[in-house]
Amino acid sequence: MMIAALGAKTIHDVINAGHFGRFAWRSVVTAARSCASRRTYPLVWNQMNLIGVRSVPVIMITGAFVGMTLAVQAYDQLAGMGLEEHLGTLINISVVKELGPVLAAVMLAGRIGGALTAELGTMNVTEQIDAVRSMGTDPIRYLVAPRFLACLLLTPVLIIYADLLGVVGGALVSFLQFHINSRAYWDLSAYGVDFWDIAVGVVKGFFFGGAIAVISCYKGFTCEEGAHGVGQACTDAFVASFISILALDFALAVISKNLYAIFWPLKSLVG
Amino acid sequence: MDGNGEKHGNAHEGGIIEVKNLTKRFGAKLVLDNISLSIEKGKTTVVIGPSGCGKTVLIKHFIVLVRPSEGRVCFEGRRVDNLGERELSKVRTHFGYLFQEGALFDSMTVAENIVFPIRQNYKVKNWDEVDDIVKAKLAMVGLDGFQNHYPARLSGGQRKRVALARAIALNPEVILYDEPTTGLDPIRADIINELILKLERELGVTTVVVTHDMKSAYKVADRIIMLHNGKIIADGDADHIRNHPHPVVQQFIDGHVGEDDLAVLRMTGSAGSAQFLPRDFEQ
Repeated sequence: MMIAALGAKTIHDVINAGHFGRFAWRSVVTAARSCASRRTYPLVWNQMNLIGVRSVPVIMITGAFVGMTLAVQAYDQLAGMGLEEHLGTLINISVVKELGPVLAAVMLAGRIGGALTAELGTMNVTEQIDAVRSMGTDPIRYLVAPRFLACLLLTPVLIIYADLLGVVGGALVSFLQFHINSRAYWDLSAYGVDFWDIAVGVVKGFFFGGAIAVISCYKGFTCEEGAHGVGQACTDAFVASFISILALDFALAVISKNLYAIFWPLKSLVG
Repeated sequence: MDGNGEKHGNAHEGGIIEVKNLTKRFGAKLVLDNISLSIEKGKTTVVIGPSGCGKTVLIKHFIVLVRPSEGRVCFEGRRVDNLGERELSKVRTHFGYLFQEGALFDSMTVAENIVFPIRQNYKVKNWDEVDDIVKAKLAMVGLDGFQNHYPARLSGGQRKRVALARAIALNPEVILYDEPTTGLDPIRADIINELILKLERELGVTTVVVTHDMKSAYKVADRIIMLHNGKIIADGDADHIRNHPHPVVQQFIDGHVGEDDLAVLRMTGSAGSAQFLPRDFEQ
């Protein structure tokens, strides 16, 4: 009995994974095709405003607190070894490479992912998505592609905002609270943080943004009827986006490390 | 006989829409069971049946909003149920679909809702002409002047009429109505019936109406099909249905509760046992 239930659940999950894979593939292909169509631009522009512009304040606040908290947490350890002037290196490399992108993406998954799923889920249960299809329009092209493109293009930009505010927040706490020499702080930061580190963080944004958009849209398109169905879809979308962000972060960290070793094989030894 | 229990199913071969051996299952639940029928061009076909019998699922197959588990769907002689979404998009422009609750886009005005299918399917250069089309479509349903209203501010009947104006925006050859009079008072329901007749008369469209409102069915139908337990149990004109010998058909058109339904009600217990007082569960 239990084995049968487990088997049924496994088959169900595999089928769902297949559906999601097909949806994700169609979304990516349709979004790529949409780039060549001028009719898509106003839709993307509108989504960029909803998704990107309105997320700027919350992303900046997230970034600032990440930098400030890192400064407070790391100061004692570094000061104990007489290395407090290296605080900037630690904060800035953590912010631009890891914490800025991941926490900004998690914040976006909550803010944008929830909104996308709720909007598309409500459209689904009120047959508005079927209405789009019935009028000869592909809902993936009209509803998913603009949201996917907006998330894909703007998540890296929002990560830059989070990075900037993280750097500024960390520096302010270091200078004002811990009275670290600002020149040493910036000089050591500039030495320790490469363009590569910043680029890795920003490139992660493309993957995080794409994942958030596809997962949230899929959950909206497949949500069950009723208020409970839409609510459950929003929760599922956030959880799935969150796990995907962490998994992608790990995968991208491994890839970027190997790429770095290929392009600059001796730098880590010299540095 | 065509396997659905009625001769009339075969009497309309070569119609604009043809369904052959259509079976639809949702998980283990069988919703449509080996249905074959043909919808005659330029006529009004009404599909009746009790709630949950698969009427909506059947007409959603006509524009492949739902794909069959078995069987095939053809439009103008061409099989459509196996087409990809891109090809289906072109086929669907031949149809207008009035959804049960209207399915208007609530973030758009009435005018934007009606412009939507035009904007999506044509490269519009002359927007004045589009405004005139919107005005004409709204005038057809008696709502000219409502262009800038949002759906949330309209009554149920007005929403259905706007949805109908949107359904005819692309000058479809077939209009599918899903429960067009449900939830409306008798006068508003009759306005919708008159609109169905008017559109058939003036636009020459093929019409398929799903309803359980017999007054509406008798008024608009050239042909009535009754679904029961996923099968067609009656198929013919209004007189044929009125005099149909099948007891389920007679029970449905008379609106009487059957003995089986009453037995279920009796078995669920007396009214007394369903009543309670706070003291019953506060002790």
